[in-house]
Amino acid sequence: MRGAQTGHLACLALLVAAPAAAQDAPADAALAPDQTRLALSLYEEPAFAAGLRIPGPWASNLLLAEPSFSWRHAQRWRLAASLAAIGSTDGDTHGQLRVREAWAGFTAGDFDFSLGKKILRWGTGYAFTPTGVLDPPRNPIDPTDRLSLNEGRQMVAADWVSGRHALTAVWASAGVFGNRPAGMTDTTALRYNTMIAGFDTAAIFAHDPGRHDFYGANFTRVVGEALEVHGEFAHRDSNAVLLGGKYMLRSGVNSIFEWYSPPSPRLGRYAYLSIGKSRLRELPGWKQWDLSLGLLANTTDRSRIVILDVTRRVADHFSLTAHTQTPGGKRWRSEYGMIPYSALVSIGFRYQI
Amino acid sequence: MFRTALPFILMAAAATAAPPDPDALLKQFDSLRNGWDSYVVRVSIRNFEQGKQDEEHLYEVYQKGTEKSYVEFLSPREKGQHLLMLGDDMWIYLPDTSRPIRITPLERLTGNASNGDVARTHYVTDYIAVFLRTETVDGASCHLLELTARRKGSTYRRILLWLRASDSRPIKADFFAASGKQLKSATYDRYQEANGQLLLRRMTIYDHVRQGSHSVIEYLQFTQRALPDRMFHQGRSERF
Repeated sequence: MRGAQTGHLACLALLVAAPAAAQDAPADAALAPDQTRLALSLYEEPAFAAGLRIPGPWASNLLLAEPSFSWRHAQRWRLAASLAAIGSTDGDTHGQLRVREAWAGFTAGDFDFSLGKKILRWGTGYAFTPTGVLDPPRNPIDPTDRLSLNEGRQMVAADWVSGRHALTAVWASAGVFGNRPAGMTDTTALRYNTMIAGFDTAAIFAHDPGRHDFYGANFTRVVGEALEVHGEFAHRDSNAVLLGGKYMLRSGVNSIFEWYSPPSPRLGRYAYLSIGKSRLRELPGWKQWDLSLGLLANTTDRSRIVILDVTRRVADHFSLTAHTQTPGGKRWRSEYGMIPYSALVSIGFRYQI
Repeated sequence: MFRTALPFILMAAAATAAPPDPDALLKQFDSLRNGWDSYVVRVSIRNFEQGKQDEEHLYEVYQKGTEKSYVEFLSPREKGQHLLMLGDDMWIYLPDTSRPIRITPLERLTGNASNGDVARTHYVTDYIAVFLRTETVDGASCHLLELTARRKGSTYRRILLWLRASDSRPIKADFFAASGKQLKSATYDRYQEANGQLLLRRMTIYDHVRQGSHSVIEYLQFTQRALPDRMFHQGRSERF
């Protein structure tokens, strides 16, 4: 089994390495009109929970295989697919295949058209995105989707780009192929994006049958050398507001802060803070390390969760990750106090080609 | 005969003594890195620590005019990442976030060879050039230019650039931060023609903050290509 897997990986490695070797030729041969990108990530992550408050296994395991493929022909035709095969053991063992994306695209003049399942994110926030009407549901505990498990929506999309202006029109189905998830409806959405005086701004409109129309706007702006600010405003039945920023110290330490008032603020308002550094120090043995510490708090019920990620890259293809979550708050009576463990530790091992 | 030739000799001497036009020299320097107005180039960066290679990165850089750069990351660990630079504004696309993330000028400077080293190659638009003096470097007479940042998107605050007097090819450069501290130096090592255009093929960047650390940047494959403007819009939902 292990030998077969190694053989399979070797074949994939050859597939990827062959064009790379050809490209290393010194001659300036014109780039081929067809361009293909292949990537594969294999990930194994055992997780251990401490202080379990409900009966259940304290240990679980996750095995992920995530191949992705894209092809482009002469800047006109595009195909892309991204899959996630998941094997999880949490008492019982389950298998699942997720099609994260599978779409085809075509360009004509100033227009790009695409059809299929695609991830579109229109929000500017890191942990919260009230204007992300087509975004995959955001998990604030995992704002970057660290395991890349988010799935896109089935859609027909058209982009018109001219000068500084971009207009995107999308019709997204609640589910053409397969069952419609409960509560999900078809969505027709429009987004206009432009730069105004350094503000990267977008105005968004969405219509879902049977619901009030959605109006939203967001922006990002860089101030000086080290500060980025962003904000979002959305209105459907009520208002939602996000304000945030990112500040980088000269040492390379990056901090992200956000405050979020959701459409139903009675359930809670939120604050998010993340401090991290990629490449801990530019020294051998140190620059392979990434560190990130995050705090997510419900400021209304004063519950919170602290998330620590430590990553060590090994050679060109391997990395090790330690991920911990420590929730806190009034037990069973607050949002993060509902999490049924006092700490979760997982150790991940990733192989990428 | 001597009287007839004298004005020409004096004019030639004056022309020789006249300081060179720094803007023209910088334009020529840019043309060695940007052969055409719109092109694609593969860039390999190998980082060395104490003479031993410890990292390798591969990029495909799409460049249009002086303001638009689009960099696709091709190394296994960085696959799916893209960097877009439009003048002073920059975004990075990460596959796990699937959206453009606005980045600050300070975030340009990571690693020995920074994003700015890869994506900002038009010094004429980023720096004001002043001719300082003529110096001899490795036995060759060189024009020394001082470049000062003219915009916040410039990768460095100040650059000293030595260009060989005989053919205006760059020999070496020193790069400085706003504090005046020297961050890096570079040597320009190899040139080769492509489609009749002489182009820089290899340069080496030495880190002055961490001694013993350097990066070799190689330009593997230049292709002149008409790139559409829409490729360089941050709001476009299509990413390769």
